[in-house]
Amino acid sequence: MAKILIIEDEQFVRELYEELLKGKGYQVEAAADGEMGYKKINQGGYDLVLLDLILPKLDGIGILEKLKQEPAKKPNKKIVMMTNLSQDEVIKKGKSLGAVGVLVKSDLTPDEFIKQVKSYLE
Amino acid sequence: MPIKSQNSSQIKKEITKINQELYERNVELAIRNRTLSILRKMYDVINTSLGIGETAQRLIEEIVQDLKFKKGFIALVDKQSNLRSIAVSTSEPEEQQVLDAFKNPFNKFTVSLKNKDNFCVYSVVHNQRRMTNVLYDILVPLVDKEDAERIQKELNIQTSILYPIVFANKVLGVFVLGMDKHVGYLSRAERETLRELIEVVAIAIERAEIYADLKEANEKLEELDKLKDEFISITSHELRTPMTAIKSYLWMVINKKVGKISGKIEDYLNKAYISTERLINLVNDMLDVSRIERGKIELKKEKFTIADLVNEVIDELMPRAKELGLSLSAEKRPGLTKVKADKDKIKQVLFNLIGNSLKFTPKNGKITVSFSKKGRYLWTDITDTGKGIAKEDQQKLFTKFGRLERSLVSIAESGGTGLGLYISKQLVNLHGGKIMVESRLGKGSTFSFSLPVV
Repeated sequence: MAKILIIEDEQFVRELYEELLKGKGYQVEAAADGEMGYKKINQGGYDLVLLDLILPKLDGIGILEKLKQEPAKKPNKKIVMMTNLSQDEVIKKGKSLGAVGVLVKSDLTPDEFIKQVKSYLE
Repeated sequence: MPIKSQNSSQIKKEITKINQELYERNVELAIRNRTLSILRKMYDVINTSLGIGETAQRLIEEIVQDLKFKKGFIALVDKQSNLRSIAVSTSEPEEQQVLDAFKNPFNKFTVSLKNKDNFCVYSVVHNQRRMTNVLYDILVPLVDKEDAERIQKELNIQTSILYPIVFANKVLGVFVLGMDKHVGYLSRAERETLRELIEVVAIAIERAEIYADLKEANEKLEELDKLKDEFISITSHELRTPMTAIKSYLWMVINKKVGKISGKIEDYLNKAYISTERLINLVNDMLDVSRIERGKIELKKEKFTIADLVNEVIDELMPRAKELGLSLSAEKRPGLTKVKADKDKIKQVLFNLIGNSLKFTPKNGKITVSFSKKGRYLWTDITDTGKGIAKEDQQKLFTKFGRLERSLVSIAESGGTGLGLYISKQLVNLHGGKIMVESRLGKGSTFSFSLPVV
């Protein structure tokens, strides 16, 4: 079953997404800040990484920049940004650094969230 | 008188007089020419967007050099009511050494306007030209009398003349020139020249000040704009984050993912869920408007069949239509409706227009979507059997917050942000299309928008 990493500092959102994904049978790991998130993403080997952009200690773009400079030990198949920001420039930058898509959290019901994850995992 | 009887010495005197006049006229002409060339150089300086200091510096150098003065400086009134020099003509190294020894009184010239015994101050305060053979009058209280005498002797300044710099009846400062001759040696032409030049200096300084103010105002505006963008971005993020949690957890309970719930609980939670969605829509709308106004919307155009998109939207809205007892359908026009546009944005427009029809059409009404091709544009029409819109109100429709009645009742009844039609109009316009409404009170409405055909 696919291995998914969630890097999200908001506790309620992180716990919800963890619960939803585990409920669908995925292997899920989570990090609550940018440094922890970078450690895990650097170890690599995930089929999907859901990367929040606003994070304490090291933000999402910072993580992507570090990965660009030094690739992860084991490659990650796909990195998708998660955000409630509306700044298109930030999202564009993330895409230029290797993120393949973006999820706007406040727009998704739990079902829609799962649907999006599934479509990225294909 | 016959020529013969004229004395030859008298003729010689006449010729000498005429020669003298000719000479003086030539001198005046030369001065005139020189004035014109100085003026041209000065206009060149003015027309470059230099800061006020550089403008004044170049002007004083021109004037002192071309008119052969010994020293010149321009002092302006600053915001603390001091007269402060902003430009001083450069001196030969030997003369500069002398000035350095006396702590550079021209460059460091700062005198409060209260110092009435200083001639520069007097000139500014009374808007009067002045003149002096005593350099101390210019420099008091920056140097004492003996030092002023020394400077005057070393720089060989005989007379100093002072002109107030006036623009639109306001005295901006003073223009001071030191000559190595007595002022009486200035011809009328030279004095006129000087007056003209000072006027130009006044214009130049005023212009440079206005330009500097404008630049500052622009920088402040840009700063404010950036702050506004940051504020909107951060606020939207901060608002949407807790709303994500509320919406998601409510959804989980309502959709029975954590066990059964009784009717009343389900009812209350549904209401909470709908309210959260309204909040999220409000934030999204405000963000859209902000992005539209900043010109930050980028269209991702693709070719697609708009009839298919309409069907998607109808599928999503059908439950609501059924609830409201309304029929909702679209005509089938296979092959007609291919357009090139940003699919997400057009979906947003369709949601807005069809959603509005659902809101404003009473029970048992009908909403239909139809298509027509006019020239290079495909028109999509959404027709409803709703209450219609009065002619006078139709203009307000596509403006921001363009609700038809400003009463509290109507705000409650119509819901929404009042931004939907404004956003739809902007999005359609960005595609090069048009949006409009045809409606009569009591007879329903047709909202139409066009998109370029593929």
